Amino acid sequence: MRTDPTDTGGLFIGRRPGTAPVRYRALPQRGGAARRRLDRTLAFAIAVLMVVVNLLFWGPLPAAWLWVGAQVNYRTNSISLGIFVAFVGMLLTLMGALAVLKRLDHAWVLVRRAAGYDQRKGIIGPVFATTVVVGTVCFTIWLVFIAGLGPSLAPRS
Amino acid sequence: MGLLDYYRQFEGLSEDEVNAELRRNAAEERQRALARVDPIDLSQTTWPELPPHTVVNAVTYIARRGLHRYLDPHAGELRGELAALHGIAAEQVVVGNGAAQLLAATAHALMEPGDELVTPWPSYPLYPVMARRARGRAVPVPGFAAEAIVRALNQRTRIVALCNPNDPTGELLSTAELDELLGMLPERVVVLLDEALAHYAERPLDETLPLLERHPRLLVFRTFSKAWGLAGLRCGYAIGAPDAGPLLERLEPELGLNELAQAGVLEALRATRPALNRRTAAVRAERSRLVGELREAGFDVTETQANVVWLRRDGLDGAELAARLQRAGVIVATGARFGDPTRIRAAVQSRAASDRLVQALSRVS
Repeated sequence: MRTDPTDTGGLFIGRRPGTAPVRYRALPQRGGAARRRLDRTLAFAIAVLMVVVNLLFWGPLPAAWLWVGAQVNYRTNSISLGIFVAFVGMLLTLMGALAVLKRLDHAWVLVRRAAGYDQRKGIIGPVFATTVVVGTVCFTIWLVFIAGLGPSLAPRS
Repeated sequence: MGLLDYYRQFEGLSEDEVNAELRRNAAEERQRALARVDPIDLSQTTWPELPPHTVVNAVTYIARRGLHRYLDPHAGELRGELAALHGIAAEQVVVGNGAAQLLAATAHALMEPGDELVTPWPSYPLYPVMARRARGRAVPVPGFAAEAIVRALNQRTRIVALCNPNDPTGELLSTAELDELLGMLPERVVVLLDEALAHYAERPLDETLPLLERHPRLLVFRTFSKAWGLAGLRCGYAIGAPDAGPLLERLEPELGLNELAQAGVLEALRATRPALNRRTAAVRAERSRLVGELREAGFDVTETQANVVWLRRDGLDGAELAARLQRAGVIVATGARFGDPTRIRAAVQSRAASDRLVQALSRVS
């Protein structure tokens, strides 16, 4: 979106959209330099944790629920029930993980502000985009070359 | 502060909360704006409204047509229009940058060092200033009577400056009194009759002009700054006797009046005279009502034929009264600059303005 007044013929003559300063209820009491350094580290740790939780979507969580489904099938001798439990469980876990990610993202924003940054947006979007690329590549490698299609494309001699 | 509380304080307001706060602030601002009453300025004798759009259009047209050359240094068209208006010859009229410039130029042209300028006092503060600038001396005469002026004359008197109606008192010398005064003056004395506020007097506007036929040492000054409401154009004119041409030429500004002022004033003369007449009639009616109310309220108000009231309250200094009025939202001129520190001068404008003045005076005095 073009929002610069010189681009829009002066349509936005005040502040460019989305650039308003954060409005606090009361002016925050910031910590000292050491506290801000610690908060920067903490924010980085939260971001790493978000990446880890995101990566769980691309292997560990589906695999875990497939194992649970197999166990259900084994104990009840019902394939349908096993598939049902695996898919419902996977969906619920994904939803729960998304909720956790959202909270982590909010916490990351607050910690970044505490570290002295004018942080207005979270990083849930970029983290998702990154892990989609990484997860898709890893899954494709696993599927094509390690688990499923590998032997037919490159049969072991 | 707990650990979580420390981070929670960095929570910003949500968009809904921000918008609600902005709406609340806007509503408060609107309430304040609606409740506010702007001060009213009654300290000037100029007209408070914007000029007619036709005058502004005429000035704009001339400005857009081009201002890169000298047009008519003698303002022939304007002088012709003024001559036709007053029923005199164009040679009897000279236009200048306001009546003040013409008055000052006259003093400069006529006075020698040490000459005296006699003027009733309190009166228009420019007269003593222009006497000093012409290296002469101002002789203020208390009151506004012809006899007092005659008594103040001597061998050094060169000019009698007479503001009629008088600013700030509003007093008026009748044409008969003027005629008598002019007849008593020595040969050497020239009378500058400043009729800047003449539109507001209860008599025909040009009643004094026939005096020019009988008294060649009389000059009448008029302005477009007051009743015409064109103070920003800086245009006034002087009318002299039929043989006053050489003196009038000396009063003319170098290279004449600016082209924009000529265009605006010409348009005003041709198109806005009915509006001017309505305006001055309304002020005359409002003036008599206002004077009556002020006298009823116990103020000492002089008999006025101008668009001003000159008033005082016993036991109250003029500056103190003006300051109290200003705090009440009504701005008036203090009398000290005109020569009487016990009084104030307030302009007569509309009924609403008069009501505010009367209400403010009743509150502060």
